[in-house]
Amino acid sequence: MSTRDTAAKTTTGLSEKGLKAGSVGLIGAVVIGISCIAPAYTLTAALGPTVSEVGVHLPAIFLVGFIPMLLVALGYRELNNAMPDAGTSFTWASRAFGPWLGWMGGWGLIAATIIVLSNLAAVAVDFFYLMLAQIFSNPSLADLTTVLPLNIATTLVFIAGACWISYRGMETTKTFQYVLVAFQLLVLGWFAIAAFAHVANGTAFDATAIQADWFNPFAVESFSQFAAGVSLSIFIFWGWDVTLTMNEETKDPEKTPGRAATVTVVVIMVIYMTVSLATLAFAGIGTEGLGAGNPENQGSIFAVLAGPVMGPFAILMSLAILSSSAASLQSTFVSPARTLLSMGHYKALPQSFSKISPTYKSPSYATIAAAIAAAAFYVVTRTLSENALWDTITALGMMICFYYGITALACVWYFRAEAFHGIRSFFFKFLAPLVGGVILLVMFFKTAYDSMDPAYGSGSNIAGVGLVFILGAGVILLGAVLMLIMNWRHPEFFKGKVLRRGSQAYNP
Amino acid sequence: MRYVVGYTANARGGDAVNLAVALARRQGAILDLVMVMPQDSPYNGAYPPVSGIGDILAEQVSQWVEEGLALIPEDVPAQAHIQRGESEAEALIAAAQELGAGLLVIGASSTGLFKRFSIGSVASSLLHASTVPVALAPSGYSRTEPITRLTCALGTRVGAQEVLAVALAMAKRRCLPLRLVSLVALGPGESDATVQDAQAHLNGVAQASHTLAADALETLKPDVVVGTGRTIEDAVDRLDWQDGELLMIGSSRLAHSKSIFLGATANRILRALPVPMIVVPRDFEIPDEEAIL
Repeated sequence: MSTRDTAAKTTTGLSEKGLKAGSVGLIGAVVIGISCIAPAYTLTAALGPTVSEVGVHLPAIFLVGFIPMLLVALGYRELNNAMPDAGTSFTWASRAFGPWLGWMGGWGLIAATIIVLSNLAAVAVDFFYLMLAQIFSNPSLADLTTVLPLNIATTLVFIAGACWISYRGMETTKTFQYVLVAFQLLVLGWFAIAAFAHVANGTAFDATAIQADWFNPFAVESFSQFAAGVSLSIFIFWGWDVTLTMNEETKDPEKTPGRAATVTVVVIMVIYMTVSLATLAFAGIGTEGLGAGNPENQGSIFAVLAGPVMGPFAILMSLAILSSSAASLQSTFVSPARTLLSMGHYKALPQSFSKISPTYKSPSYATIAAAIAAAAFYVVTRTLSENALWDTITALGMMICFYYGITALACVWYFRAEAFHGIRSFFFKFLAPLVGGVILLVMFFKTAYDSMDPAYGSGSNIAGVGLVFILGAGVILLGAVLMLIMNWRHPEFFKGKVLRRGSQAYNP
Repeated sequence: MRYVVGYTANARGGDAVNLAVALARRQGAILDLVMVMPQDSPYNGAYPPVSGIGDILAEQVSQWVEEGLALIPEDVPAQAHIQRGESEAEALIAAAQELGAGLLVIGASSTGLFKRFSIGSVASSLLHASTVPVALAPSGYSRTEPITRLTCALGTRVGAQEVLAVALAMAKRRCLPLRLVSLVALGPGESDATVQDAQAHLNGVAQASHTLAADALETLKPDVVVGTGRTIEDAVDRLDWQDGELLMIGSSRLAHSKSIFLGATANRILRALPVPMIVVPRDFEIPDEEAIL
């Protein structure tokens, strides 16, 4: 009668299913891709800062910005297939370059997601108050978001709420994602059509005729502006690569991911092009009033433009952005928490980061740590900056370039033995990630250098050094300091005992 | 005969294991320790996509499973399983059905400060959906000795006889002493008449059950008791409870056929109850002699 099982046999008799294999079709994969990009949120957050850099060449920069994203994502896919791991960039860079660069790659990923969390929460809060104002037809409610203590308090509540949901591991259903994505696309389309209608009727704020030159990336005045624009447009495509890495959960793993990635990028491009052209045509790039170049409007462009363009239906825009940023806020929490968990697991962070909640089976310590970091980042930025949203997005673009660049080069180095064996390997494991990685790291260093200028971004500075540089470089420096402390306290990981350096052997 | 234990690596899971051991020792059952792992949905929108989190989680869960098995004494046969599911309750019900279990044992939440039974969300969902009987261990349940007495709470509504039939079957299997209880909340103006009604009803049910299992009732000779108090909770407090006691109650009439829905009265009993409780689904049929309780 003693049938006490050992660990190896603990799964007897019951169905063991991880990801629901074969549950996602083409449309499902596209919906997942779009929901990860969250176009309503990214546009409102990134359109203004990009216009301030590249002016009317916004469409060109959006098109060009996709290229490094595509190149890096191809390398990302190769790494994900060869070494599926919760630590992603951290694990891959550690395997390719050793513990030190690996640690910094992981830190870059965590920092980027923490920064985007604080920005997501802030955008959600802006639109929350804007929506209250629209519901009660009381414009003064929208101004509540400019009251610093109230704004910080509300943002912290949003972050805490998302952290709590993520900690408890709420399931998002298929229907919910479909509705959310359809609603976003619908409202953005409505905004674009309404804006063009105003232009046609002569009621636009600053009707500007669309010119072919807007699509010419080489017409951007300086390389500095080009670099800044590209690093911002990396942000607007961030999340797209999720479609490429979906495998066993798709119905046809051979074809679905590639097709989904293509359809997703076409849909996203169409919506980005239409909305950015509509915005430019309606508002121009003037620096006064509703102009897209007005620093007042840069943090969140739709908060300003939705009312004049859509009239009473502007509330739909608030609803679309609020829902998409709130949903992203919750799902994005998963990311830094998992990387922190993974780093704790590999002893690159204190053991407590690898704690898993017995009740909810989620990374408990890591999720709470991510929430505290996001809250702290927001409070610091909000207090120091004249336009926190703008500066965080710029710093975020830098951070994504940093960790994506490292990840892409890790791909090149890890697969170096295979690089020149076959056209496919040469292109996907060597050329694409190499070019993409180099572009991103160049963008990173250029943007970092330029952002030292006190006039950079929103123009906030400390002792004559631009705030964006202080935020970006400060975060990376903080990572380096923490890394040294970790090495001093728990040197195991840094001696290469946990994650060994390695590379893919050529094995035809 | 198998019992599924819904195990979590905390005090609540420990309570469940203790109760399951106590029940298994009395009834000679095999325990199936089940841990639930969350099912990743691609629609969760987690970004960046991460495929390795499952490995870390699986490693942790199998370690927890080992710890859980270690809590079960040598004399009780046990197996462990890991079940995937979107929700803990759903996965446990699925596991119980797949394994053909006669009982699902879980711990009530350990977060309740004032009452022994402060129901956690998993327990709560199970108590409103399970298709097999659910045994709830009160917070801090540490007894692993066999159960010493079974109390069956009977209401005046339809369904009382089904619960009684299950209780008789369980008591008969290992000659467990049986007590039949009706709880009455007496308002200020109400007199003994209500108590007498309840007494008469209980006796009626006991008589009627002769037809169910006449021989069983002959040998078991259950105690028949009416508990009174100002409220249901008060009535529960006033009854005497042995350390090794177990309470069995039925589902509300709101339950779908063959599933559990904890009624309002049962909920109030639960709040005051110092001993474990089994809730039996509505229209529950004892599958066969071996498979039940």
